[in-house]
Amino acid sequence: MGKLVVVFKREYLERVRSKWFIIGTVLGPVFFLLVAVSPRLFGDNEVRSKELAHVDVIDGTGTGLGARVTAALHETYPLSRAPNLRVVRPELVPAEEERSTLRVQHADVLGYLVLDSATVAGESMGYAGRNANASGDVEALRGIVRQQVLAEQLGREGIDASKVAAFSKVRLVAHTQKIGDAGPERGTGIALLLLGWAVALLLYMMIVIYGQTIMRGVMEEKTTRVAEVVVSSVSTDTLLAGKIVGVGLVAITQVMTWIVLTILAMYYGAPLLIGRAGPGLVGSGGGAPSGMPAAAGAGAEALAAGLPVIPLWAMIVLLLCFVLGFIFYASLFAAVGAMVNSQEDVQQAATPVMLLLVSSVIFMGPIIANPEGTLARTMSLLPTSAPILMPLRMALVRVPWYELVGAMLGVLVSCVIAIWLSARIYRVGLLMYGKRPTVRELVRWVREAR
Amino acid sequence: MSDLAIDIRNVVKRYGDHLAVGDLTLAVPRGTVYGLLGPNGAGKTTTIRMLLNIIVPDSGTITLFGASHRAPGITDRIGYLPEERGLYKKMQVRRVLRFLAELKGVSPRVADQRIDEWLERLELRTPERDWGLAKVDELSRGMQQKVQFIGTLLHEPDLVILDEPFSGLDPINAQALKDAIVELKSRGKTVIFSTHLMDNAERLCDSVCIIARGRKVLDGGVAEVRRAHSGRMIALALEGDDASRIAPVIGDRALVRRVDDHNRYYELELADGAEAQEVLRRVVATGAAVQRFELVLPSLHQIFLERVGARGVEEGVTGHG
Repeated sequence: MGKLVVVFKREYLERVRSKWFIIGTVLGPVFFLLVAVSPRLFGDNEVRSKELAHVDVIDGTGTGLGARVTAALHETYPLSRAPNLRVVRPELVPAEEERSTLRVQHADVLGYLVLDSATVAGESMGYAGRNANASGDVEALRGIVRQQVLAEQLGREGIDASKVAAFSKVRLVAHTQKIGDAGPERGTGIALLLLGWAVALLLYMMIVIYGQTIMRGVMEEKTTRVAEVVVSSVSTDTLLAGKIVGVGLVAITQVMTWIVLTILAMYYGAPLLIGRAGPGLVGSGGGAPSGMPAAAGAGAEALAAGLPVIPLWAMIVLLLCFVLGFIFYASLFAAVGAMVNSQEDVQQAATPVMLLLVSSVIFMGPIIANPEGTLARTMSLLPTSAPILMPLRMALVRVPWYELVGAMLGVLVSCVIAIWLSARIYRVGLLMYGKRPTVRELVRWVREAR
Repeated sequence: MSDLAIDIRNVVKRYGDHLAVGDLTLAVPRGTVYGLLGPNGAGKTTTIRMLLNIIVPDSGTITLFGASHRAPGITDRIGYLPEERGLYKKMQVRRVLRFLAELKGVSPRVADQRIDEWLERLELRTPERDWGLAKVDELSRGMQQKVQFIGTLLHEPDLVILDEPFSGLDPINAQALKDAIVELKSRGKTVIFSTHLMDNAERLCDSVCIIARGRKVLDGGVAEVRRAHSGRMIALALEGDDASRIAPVIGDRALVRRVDDHNRYYELELADGAEAQEVLRRVVATGAAVQRFELVLPSLHQIFLERVGARGVEEGVTGHG
């Protein structure tokens, strides 16, 4: 026990003291903050064309919708050149479209909007232009037309024009509420999705970074031959255990520091950044395409507004996921480190372990899309990916308790097997120099190690 | 309390089909300097690793200071300097040394005190520069070897095991190491070291064990061993350039089994059944001017050649180890 502490102390202190650990720990939250906020910063200013309103508006509706849309466009994008309105009879719309096509080709305008009876009915509108593939642009245009169609309809129902204008400015922000079996749960749906996604990614990142730290540490001891002296004082099992515990606690230290610093940064840093981005930023997420930018942007808000409350049992599962997942992969990485003798070999030898790890993150997308599906179920139960994907699924849906317990037991059993295997490979490999062992030799190592 | 520091009995270790150590039995009395001699691949390192419980013998027993070598805490009484030396490169020298001492159960406070003494003694701490505060990879190779040596002795072990301690040492460090071994013995410690440099062993060791291909060839006190092999070695020196004259005599395999030709000085090993007098008579008969003709105690080197054979030696001198 005493020796385990000595080994653990060295592993922990040497790493926590290192320059790179300190830099990484301090810069981590800055990086997270930028990731969370940057889509917002860039999203509203640059993703949409600056000249978004510089379009022809072809109005074949005979209702004055074109004039409304033109005015709204101009009002919403005052910095852009103004739109040109052409009101025509419905049968002349195709000819006008041809004319505008030429204008787009000659770069006289960015594109043209086509409003017809289907638009008035609230069914469809047409847009053609150089930016017709930019979903952010099209969504923005659609939003404006939609608002004006609504105003037009309300006007026809006899609602006062000034009131119509007021109504049409109503901006709806979605406040969502997740309801579980136990009733409403605190925190918004998007925040939970983000949290699950962030936790899974963080687990993956920490396991990769610190698993490889262990691998390199073992390799260092082996290639510098310092292992020779160390194992004459302490058993290889104790050495391996001290290493995994020490490096694991370094990872936990880093994550804890990150969490504290990130919360501080969100409270004090995010308002500064968001404030600088100008109006129109907060709460306009509706127009953005689904996926990252909106999620990350909303994440900054969610974090700034306070994290969803995570129940204690979920925290325990989370911690268990990290501890067991880390031990599992760390022992495999340690075995790889003990097998190889050179930097060139290590990349190759680590590939199988890396593949196992990566296989869990490449399924994150499909699992977010369908957290109740067979793929999600299987991957969150498989011991190699459960530590990373189970927290993700837990954030999205209510995972039955037996699945949770099953997954954790599976990981626990895999851990025991991984430790047993690695300890044997480690024992033999640590003092075995020369070429990298073949699979057959490895099997012999495992069989003969005592 | 046992008088033996090390008592190895019938130890066998195989790696697959390869016999690393076969039925090895040897005893090292306390307070002696003991040499483990043999060519590369003879099983020296394997034997040492088994002593240290780094690897487990297939059969046989190992007793250290009267207790099983697997008894808890027994490795804390051993200092080990491996053949392959190295330290944590990015770690501060003092911290490496403290770590090694703590692994042997020395408290950090005591370790610090001893580190100071050692650093000063080996001139790693001078008024200009304290290398103890430097990182290991800032040190020269010679300094790193000193640090490693300090690490071996910080916990004041009763048994010091040095695996090929002289390989790769510069002359100054080699001298310091030799002094240290002598000092350890004078303080009643047991030192066992492996080497293939027979001259070192002959001068330093009280007793030796020669092993080859995993098996013990002979063991015993250096003086005893040499005496046991005496009467068969002749030192012959000539005056002037008479080498060609005596060539037929010393080339006669019925008379002389082996010649170590140093140009004007020869070491001859008598063939079985041959007499020294016969050699002298034949040499004088050639007319060569004999300056010296003496029956001598063979050196360990010669005994080694005789007992292990040319093949074993070739293996031994092709590389370190």
